[in-house]
Parts: sequence; structure tokens; C-alpha cells
Amino acid sequence: MERSRVNIAVGLFVLIGIAGLAYLSIQLGRVSFLGATGYVVTADFPSVGGLKAGSTVEIAGVEIGRVEAIGLADYQARVTLRIHAGVNLQEDSIASIKTKGLIGEKYLRISPGGSDRLIPPRGKIREVEAPVDFEELLSKYIFGKI
Amino acid sequence: MTIGRRGLVFAAGLVLLLVPAEVRAVQPTDQLRTQIDRVLRVLEDPELKKEGKVKARRAAVRKIANDIFDFSETAKRSLARHWPPRTPAEREEFVTLFADLLERGYISKIEVYGGEKIAYLGETIEGDLATVRTKITTKQQTDIPIDYRMLVRGEKWLVYDVIIEGVSLIANYRTQFNKIITTSSYQELVRRMKTKQEEFDEDERKRTSQR
Repeated sequence: MERSRVNIAVGLFVLIGIAGLAYLSIQLGRVSFLGATGYVVTADFPSVGGLKAGSTVEIAGVEIGRVEAIGLADYQARVTLRIHAGVNLQEDSIASIKTKGLIGEKYLRISPGGSDRLIPPRGKIREVEAPVDFEELLSKYIFGKI
Repeated sequence: MTIGRRGLVFAAGLVLLLVPAEVRAVQPTDQLRTQIDRVLRVLEDPELKKEGKVKARRAAVRKIANDIFDFSETAKRSLARHWPPRTPAEREEFVTLFADLLERGYISKIEVYGGEKIAYLGETIEGDLATVRTKITTKQQTDIPIDYRMLVRGEKWLVYDVIIEGVSLIANYRTQFNKIITTSSYQELVRRMKTKQEEFDEDERKRTSQR
């Protein structure tokens, strides 16, 4: 009797441990599985330079979604974003790829527009700004071209 | 027989649908090129290059800019969230102030134009919006990419945003305006824009009277 009680306690402990591990790996791996909430919009960029699936999408520094996938479409980068439900994006919103700090990670910043038309789910953000390539700019304006 | 007639009606409908697209076949690049060439002719006009002709020259450039730019759309998009609450009178005032701001910033800069080459690299049309990609080659052989975002207004394509070296004009002003309005007020923004314009006019007067 005593022994089976210990066994049950150990079993429960292990189960809780496994559940904790699963939770951690889902959170850290930024995997959305089972009932991904929110809605999806896309945006085409000439270059994404360092943006990755899982990067954050922000308005005013507040996370409103994540980059779900990045693929190639007609030699442009097509970024698929999953936006939290309840956050509306106006048709003239601008999506810009920005860097956190000077050399930090890349994220996607959306500056909301003023249009009364909203981007529908599976719609497209048509106003985009590609990341500024500092190295390229530097070499261009310091050294010039041959 | 009935099927044939139905097919005919369908074909007629299709033709009707296609006609407007054919009519507005003027391509955004062609329209942009025409206006830019007009600006270049003004800038290279020896008559307007003379001293004391700055005003006339600037007026001529501004007139062309009005033909190709949709200043009200640019102003609206730059003000973004703060545009809908404005009254029609406020909107009109803001568009004028904003056009003046762009003139101070850009039209005065293109006056230093000295024969830089402009290349048209291509266009993409997406519904009622289009992007025309261009490149300016300076005398130091540096390429500066400039993209024009255009939209259809009736039969014409008008520019509403300029993206220089990947930086959008609207995005830039939108951030600045938003900051000023959220930290103080819309009235403060208008006041600042007005004082800037007055200072600029004052400077211009001093410069012309010194000559």
C-alpha cells in the first residue's frame, strides 16, 4: 500500500515535469500549434535582411503578432504575419523592417494608417519599407563607386 | 442558337469590362517621365537660371509638382490616425502647410541639379497602386535608388509617396507627426509648421534683399 502511493507520487511528478518541458519548448520555440489564433496577412519586401520566422511584429513597441513564414515570390521576399485577433490594420499601414538598437535583432514595425478601410484576413500590406543596409550605405557614400 | 447568343452577350460584357482598362493605358512610368522631363527643362532653362529668378523658377517647379503629386493623399497618409478627426477646414489648411513643408525640403534641393542622370528601371502595377523604380546617378557615380509610389486618380497616375534609398517619405513624416501630436497636440503641430514656414520666408526675404 505504502509503496504504491510512492509510485503514484513519482509518476505524477514525472508527468508534471514532462508537461512543464513541453510548455517550455513550445514557448521558447515560438511554435504555434493547435488553434493558432489571430489572422494572417502578407507583405512583399525587396529584401528582408535578417528577419526570421518567429520575429515579432510591433506597433508602438507592443507585440501584436509574429512572423509566421518567409518565402520567395517572384524574386521578392513574401513575409506571412500572424496578427493577434482584435488588432486592426488600416489599408495604408506601413510595414517596416527595423533593427532593435544598432546591432540588435530585426523586427517588423507597423505604423498604423488613417484609412477607414481595413486589411482583411489573408490580405496584403501594400506599403512596405525594406531594411536599410548600413554597410551598403556606408560604402556607397564614403568610398563611392569606381 | 440560344447558347450562341448567350455567348455573344457574355463576350460583349467582357469587352465592356476590359474597355476602361484599355482607356487608362497610359503607364505610370510614362506619366512620371513626362513630368520629370518638364522639371528638368525648367531647371536647365538659361533664362530662369539668372540671378533674381529663383522665385519664378521655384513657382514653375511647384506648378509641375502639383500636376504629378497628390499632396492631399500624402498629407492624409502622413497624418494617418490623426486625419479622420480633423474638420474639412483643418484638413485643407494642413494640406497647404504640408505642401509648403515638402517644397522647403525638396524643391529647394533639386535646384542644385547639375545634369545627374535619371534611369527608369521598371514598374509594378497592383490594382490602383503602382511603384516606379528609378535611379539617379550622381557625378561621383553613386547610384541613389528612388521609388515612386503612385495611385490612379481618374485617368491619371499621381505620386503619393517617394522612397529614397529604402526610406519612405510618408513613414518618416508619419512618425514625426504622431510623436508631436501624442506628446502635445494637433494645434501644436500646426503652430510649429507655421512658424517654420514664416522663418523660411523671412530668410528668403533677407537673402534676396542682400543681393
